[in-house]
Formats: sequence, structure tokens, C-alpha cells
Amino acid sequence: MIQAVGLTKRYGDKLAVDHADFVVEAGTVTGFLGPNGAGKSTTMRMILGLDHPSDGGVTVDGKPYRNLPVPLREVGALLDAKSVHGGRTAYNHLACLARSNGIPMRRVDEVIGLVGLEQVAKKRSKNFSLGMGQRLGIAAALLGDPGTLLFDEPVNGLDPEGILWVRNLMKSLAAQGRTVFVSSHLMSEMALTADRVIVIGRGQIKADTTMREFIAQNATTHVRVRSPHIGKLRELMAGKGWRTEALPDDDGAVEVFDVASEAVGDLAGQNGLWLHELAVIQPSLEEAFMSMTADSVEYHAGVPGMEPGQILGQPGLGPDQPVWQGQGGGQSQAPGGTSSSTGSSTGSGEARR
Amino acid sequence: MTATPVAAGRPGTGPGPAITGRAGFADVISSEWMKIRTVRSTFWTLIALFAGSSVISLLITLAAANSYAKDLAEGKPDSADIVLAGLAFVGQIAAYVLGVMTISAEYSTGGIRTTLTAMPRRVEILVAKAILLAVIVFVIGLVTAFVCFYLGNIPLHAKHVGINLSYPGATRAVFGSALYLAGLSMFGLALGFLLRHTAGAITIGLALIFIIGNLFTLIPGSVGHWLYKVMPGNAGGQVTSFGETGRNPDKAFAPWTGFTVFLIEVVVLLIVGAILFERRDA
Repeated sequence: MIQAVGLTKRYGDKLAVDHADFVVEAGTVTGFLGPNGAGKSTTMRMILGLDHPSDGGVTVDGKPYRNLPVPLREVGALLDAKSVHGGRTAYNHLACLARSNGIPMRRVDEVIGLVGLEQVAKKRSKNFSLGMGQRLGIAAALLGDPGTLLFDEPVNGLDPEGILWVRNLMKSLAAQGRTVFVSSHLMSEMALTADRVIVIGRGQIKADTTMREFIAQNATTHVRVRSPHIGKLRELMAGKGWRTEALPDDDGAVEVFDVASEAVGDLAGQNGLWLHELAVIQPSLEEAFMSMTADSVEYHAGVPGMEPGQILGQPGLGPDQPVWQGQGGGQSQAPGGTSSSTGSSTGSGEARR
Repeated sequence: MTATPVAAGRPGTGPGPAITGRAGFADVISSEWMKIRTVRSTFWTLIALFAGSSVISLLITLAAANSYAKDLAEGKPDSADIVLAGLAFVGQIAAYVLGVMTISAEYSTGGIRTTLTAMPRRVEILVAKAILLAVIVFVIGLVTAFVCFYLGNIPLHAKHVGINLSYPGATRAVFGSALYLAGLSMFGLALGFLLRHTAGAITIGLALIFIIGNLFTLIPGSVGHWLYKVMPGNAGGQVTSFGETGRNPDKAFAPWTGFTVFLIEVVVLLIVGAILFERRDA
């Protein structure tokens, strides 16, 4: 368990971390989210005793890091992957660390096997790719079989297979009862990995809750409806006082806010309008995060036409992760009856007509 | 790769049995010893120290043997400690650079953060590095000093003016050279801890030893003499010369006095380095 009480770091006039209070519980993967410069790394460095808090403090299992009798057996950390002397081989790097904490040398071979670096263990790490460096860092974190693990941006530079591996690794470490604290700016990754989330913006803890609650509280669920009669349907919905928004680059669909999908389907059915798609759009972590931290982004990218805090399009980060309604929703709409199709094209709906 | 990341039943605070004991100074020494010998720069620096010093001692005595023999024949004072002159060039620089690199390389690579998460009790790291450096450099320095002494003597023997270890001050100078080099490596370590930057620490340290010390001769009077005397290279270097000729007590300490002054300077710098190391963010 990691516990921060009034944790503060000041650089001159600037508060990098501002009286942060949080608890990272054992047995869960806790995501640590925040825009660049929000104070994630500073917080992690203070947990590890690398940076001294200006005020307040943080403990691991009730002890300040410096007082841990055998640090690597209690806490394993992956900071930036290149916290390694490149002239030393991967094996020797791990062996030096193991010696400093009295860890037997056979454990070095074990962790090299665990991260899949057997082939390059005797090579100097300066020639390692980013992904290999990341694996070496993870091996170092696992070396002492610690009860608490900190990972700062662990999937950086990993290929898809490596990302999947890290994701499963973190989950299985938590399932074994360990405390796993992971910082990331990759929100889609966090959504898949973390059970809990702590959000930091401009040094302040903005949220400390479960992933599910965080998303539910900070983003609105909405309904996407696609119809060949979309113009008419919009008029009807506007008549009901529902807020609708046309999807850009898609003239057959609109998003409807603050209304249940059943109500939208019923309205269409009552008016004899076909539907090709009716979907509840689950808010993503990214959306929730953006709505929460829009005002606390430290460095804006300054892209014309973009809102502050909006993220440049990244594949796999799209906010739309549709949760398809079950058959019940579809059956309630006599004329349409296509709401449970995937909605990938209007063609499938037309074919059933 | 496997989905089961950690073998069951391993020691740790997680599922395994409770941790016993404490990572202590012996572990830090063991780890730092492995760190020093698993990077190539250590070997290159020590090889430079040994080979460079030996070769230069030989070349200097080859060049100087004639005039040395002539001076002796004419009854002019001259010093036989030219046999150790090689140590005064490459040896000093190599020992100092090795000391700087022992810590500055950890800062330049970021490895210091890994080191400090493994061992957060920082002073132990500094003390371990200082002890290991002093021992390593003393041993290599002593071997090198003996080799310089015998190599440098070859051209002198050829002119029938060779010396042996019973020559006044010779034994003290050979052991003193090894001690001075060990001290210089700790001086480098201290500046490495203070500046955390390889090039900066090397530049400043070598300037202090080779240049700034001599600039104080430009300051007239006793203040200038005193400043000149206490500069680390000038104070510590006295123990490496035979000292049978022309030591001006206004401008130079006696050998062991000078070395003691130098050691105090090194220890003070190490203490300041330790305090800053503790206080600074890594």
C-alpha cells in the first residue's frame, strides 16, 4: 500500500505536486493519469525517495522509502527505461542491483527469462531498442519479487505483443495481492488495465476512484442513431427537447444526449421511421479524462481549431466504444428492427427490408 | 515470455514469506565493486594509468639521463625523482578521471535513479565508492610506481647514475605516489558528486591541479606562497618527490604534511559532496 499525505513538491514558485492525498491499495492495478507535466513522474520519484517532498510525505507499507530494510524486495520500479549504464550488459546490470539487496543470482536468470531477454542478456544495453530497454527495466522491477510495483509509462516503445504482455503482467501481479501503480497518458491502455484511477492535473489530485465510477461520473452516455430518415427523426427529437448533434462526415447518423436508447427507438417506431443503428455509446476513459482535466493541461499544443486538452487523433484512442443494445431494444421498434445489427453499413439494414 | 510473471513462494512483501534482514553496507560494497569492474571505462582508465605512466617515465629518463649524469658529475643539485615523472602526467589525470567517472557516469546515464531505488541510504553509496576507488587505485598505483621506478632507472643505470629504493626518499615517494593517486581518485569522486557532470568535473579538477595552483605563484608575498602551497596538487604532490634537493619551505609543505593537508581537503570535499548528495533530488 502506498499512502501520500499532503505530498507537495515545489520548484521555485511552481507547485509541481500540490498537497496530494491518495492511497494506492494492494491487490489492484491503480492507474495514475494526468497530462504531461501534471506531476506524475515527480510523485513517483517522491514515492521512491529520489526527490524530497517540500511538504507532506509518502509511505510504502507504512514506511518512508528510505527506511525500507531491503528496498528491492518491497518495491520494484520502472522509471524511464534508460536509467541504466549502457556500457554494462543486461545481466550485469541486474546482478549489480541484486547484490545491493542480497538477492540470489539465480533470481537474475529468472527475471531475464520472465521478460524474454535471454538472447541479449550478455550484450551491453546501450544498443538495446526502446522496447528491450523497457523489458530490462521491468526485469529490474521484478528482481526482488516486491509487494509493491511502480511503473512509469510501461508500454512506451513496446510492440503490440509487448503491450499485451505488460497488461497481463500488471493484472496478474495485482491478482497475487500486490500493489500495482501505473502512470500513463495512454488512456485506452489504462481503461483496459486499471481497476482504480488516480487523476492528477497541475499537481492536484482530481479524482481517486474506481475506473468505472470515474468514467460514469465524468462523461455523459449518449445514443447514436442512424436512419435513412434522419432529417425527419431529428425534427421529432428536437420537438421532444432532446439535444442532438450530427456526426461529422456522416450524414446518416446523429448523437442524442441524455436520453435512453429505448426512448429513441420508441419514437422512431411510433412514427414509422426505419432505423439502421441504435447504439448506446459508452463514454471512454479518454472522454472522462478530458472533461476533467481540460482546464489543467500544462502545455497546450496550439493546433488551430482544437479545443484545449483535445488530443490529436491517435489510432485506438477513439472515444466511441459502442455497447450494442440487446435484442430487446430492437424488438421494440416494429418498423426498423435493425437496431441490433452492427451498423457498419446501411446496406445490411436495406437488405432486410 | 509467460503470463505467470513471478514464481510462487519467492521472498518478497507480496505473496511470499516475510522479509528478513536488511540490505547493509556489505551489500553496497559488493554491488559497487561489481559496478566498477563491469564497465569498460574502468579498465581503459587503469590501463592508461599503468601503461601511460610507465612509458612516459621511461621516455623522460631516456631524454634526461645525459644531463642528469652531467649535473651529478659537476656537483650541481638535481633530483633522481624524474624516474617517477610519468605518474605526474598520465597517472594523475587517469586516477582523477576514474574518480569522476565512477559517479558522473551514473548521472549522465540516469543509472543513479536505479542505484538509489535499490539503496536509498545514499551516504553508504558514497562511502562504498570512495573506499573501493581508494583501494583499487592504490594497488594499481603502487604497481605502476614500482614499474616506473625500475623502468625509469634503466637509462640512468646505463649512465652509471642509477638509484635503488634505499636512495633518500625513494621508498616514501613510491608508496607516496600510490597514496597520492588514490587521494586524487577520491578528489575526482568528490567533484563528481558535487558537479554531477563528467566534462565539468574533469575540467575543473584538472584546472585546479595543473593550472590554478601554479597561477598563485603570480601573487606576491606570503599570501601567494600559502595559496600555492595548499592547492591540492601542490600539497598532495610533495609526497611523490624524493625531496632531497631544493624544497623551499615557503612554497612547499614537507611530504607528509602536504599529503595530510591534501587528504583533509579531499575529506572535506567528500563530506560536502555527501551532504549535497543526501539533500538533492536525483
